Amino acid sequence: MRRNLFANSVIATRLAAFLILLAIMAPLMAKAADKQSFNNWEEVVEAARGGTVNWFMWGGADNINEYVSGYIGSELKDRYDITLKRVGINDTAEAVNIVIGEKQAGVDDAGSVDLIWINGGNFRTMKQGDLLFCGYHSLLPNNKLVNWQDPSIAHDFGLPVDECEVPWNRAQFAFAYDSARTENPPKSIAELIDWVKENPGEFTYPASTDFNGSVFIRHVFYHAAGGPEALLGDFDQEKFDAIAPKAWAILNEMEPYLWREGETYPNAIASLAQLFANREVALYFDYDPAIFGINVENGIFPETTRSYGLQDGTIGNTNYVAIPYNSPNKAATMVAANYLLSFDAQYEKAKSDVWGAAPAIDVSKLDDDAAARFAALPRHPAVIAPEVLAQKSLPELHPDWISAIEKGWQENVGN
Amino acid sequence: MKTRFQGLSGLSWLSLALLISWLILPLIPLALWSVSRSWFFPDILPSSYSLRAWSYVFSTTSEVLPALGQTALIALGATCISVIIGVPAGRALGLYQFRGKAVIEILILAPMIVPGIAVALGLHVVFLKLGLAGSAIGVMIVHLIPTLPYMVLVMSGVFSNYNPAAEAQARSLGASPLQAFYYVTLPAILPGLMIGSLFTFLVSWSQYILTLLIGGGRVVTLPLLLFNFASAGRNDITGAISMIYILPGVLLLLVAARYLTGRNGNLEGMHRI
Repeated sequence: MRRNLFANSVIATRLAAFLILLAIMAPLMAKAADKQSFNNWEEVVEAARGGTVNWFMWGGADNINEYVSGYIGSELKDRYDITLKRVGINDTAEAVNIVIGEKQAGVDDAGSVDLIWINGGNFRTMKQGDLLFCGYHSLLPNNKLVNWQDPSIAHDFGLPVDECEVPWNRAQFAFAYDSARTENPPKSIAELIDWVKENPGEFTYPASTDFNGSVFIRHVFYHAAGGPEALLGDFDQEKFDAIAPKAWAILNEMEPYLWREGETYPNAIASLAQLFANREVALYFDYDPAIFGINVENGIFPETTRSYGLQDGTIGNTNYVAIPYNSPNKAATMVAANYLLSFDAQYEKAKSDVWGAAPAIDVSKLDDDAAARFAALPRHPAVIAPEVLAQKSLPELHPDWISAIEKGWQENVGN
Repeated sequence: MKTRFQGLSGLSWLSLALLISWLILPLIPLALWSVSRSWFFPDILPSSYSLRAWSYVFSTTSEVLPALGQTALIALGATCISVIIGVPAGRALGLYQFRGKAVIEILILAPMIVPGIAVALGLHVVFLKLGLAGSAIGVMIVHLIPTLPYMVLVMSGVFSNYNPAAEAQARSLGASPLQAFYYVTLPAILPGLMIGSLFTFLVSWSQYILTLLIGGGRVVTLPLLLFNFASAGRNDITGAISMIYILPGVLLLLVAARYLTGRNGNLEGMHRI
């Protein structure tokens, strides 16, 4: 619902902006964006000194907020004299809309957003709308720690990154269950279908409007298609029409055995977490397995929570930080993005009591000592090891595929 | 006061009790959530307690306290501007008949009919052009869209029961226009003004989408922080921020209640509204 609202709102903004621009602001010429150019990293660091970085990011996790405002903020201050201002938002589209509005108003060099935590459809919107600052990777010293040969890093939901964003975390979908209650959780989509019928009322998933609900539905879609290979690349209506009915049939067959007989679906992943916490359902899943450990530590999930991937693999993605084209603090923001990629920052973030997020850097590119420290990090028992999960990783789909699947689910299953 | 309470019928007492429980009961789970560590269905009480949510709320990371100040400043500013605009507008609408009055009344009501987001998206571009986007002043001004109708409506109700002849009498006895306003008009409209201001303050206090769009994330108010955690399912932090969030409303209600229940001859106009 919210995504649709924002899609409409983009159109509304454009219309309104167009009319207003015509009416009053026609005589004013938009200033051309002067692309800052730096010859080397030292120049960037020098220009960054005393700067401010307004980082817009989802603000719903206190531990992530602490890591960013506390650890990253104080390190940037001490090392580079940069002030980090974290701006908590509810949906990344909010930050994207601010940049779109600024572009329409001709604010080309004094934007309010310096850095956005982003991926997928929002990245596509910004890249295709020429709303991003690109082509600076060669300046960043820590860029060498990133494995750009890995297609799941070089492509963000099927779209080439093209030096328009910097990887920050890796995430891969996993299931969680309470080992004290459930002995043999289903390890594949096929098993899940049988398991749901044997355990009526014990499973549900959020509607396709939810980020995590949508990725669960994609797993069923991959299962119906016999694997993701047929679905990669640009959207193909014929392929979609061939596979979709099978996927909807599976989900509709499951529906009467879901929580509340499938009359209703949770509207957000937070609701599914609450149902799992209340022991109303036996399974939980999330795109970021670190959340299982965080929820156990927060007392939301039982101590006996354990997690696993599927036999056929689960979908993984990389999430990034991107700099809008009109950021007035590009030097300071590049320094911040570079620091996010550093061993220190990625190591701190990987600690399970800080966040437990899987690193975006390639640990094998680190020196032996640093790699050993990564390997020695204690794991949270509720969180499956990222390297185990990564052995069977499935690619994400092109955003057009994703929106077609989300829409199809609403029309055929969730109605 | 005593005689008034004795005069309350059984039904009045019942509705008073209902009103109080309706106001207080929803707050109990919020307060409990804010100190809970784990609270599972179907337990009536949390199984373990923790002050972690509160320590996060009072930490510098959460920015809850600066946001509290910011929200209060914006709401007070929006209320002051609403009073300055709303009192003369309400007087004109309440006391006088003039050509196009119906049109103006509809225009004033329009922000209550048109969804705020539709207006705000267009306004964002205008505010960017004016350099008001991303500033507390800009947010204060945009809050006038939802707050002004309340103020103008309440004030036009007050003035429709007001007799301006009293002002003329004061003037004929030698009062200056300011004195006449201060000693005659103000006492007569004060209860209505208090109600209008209370509405205005609370409407501004609870704005989310207008603040987000015009403030561009740089003007952080409590509803923005609250929504972050509410939508993330963090009931403990949501509960703690909520407890802070409702404080000004409760305080204002208590202060205003004194004005509204005090026996005052000037209140007579109010009873007819």
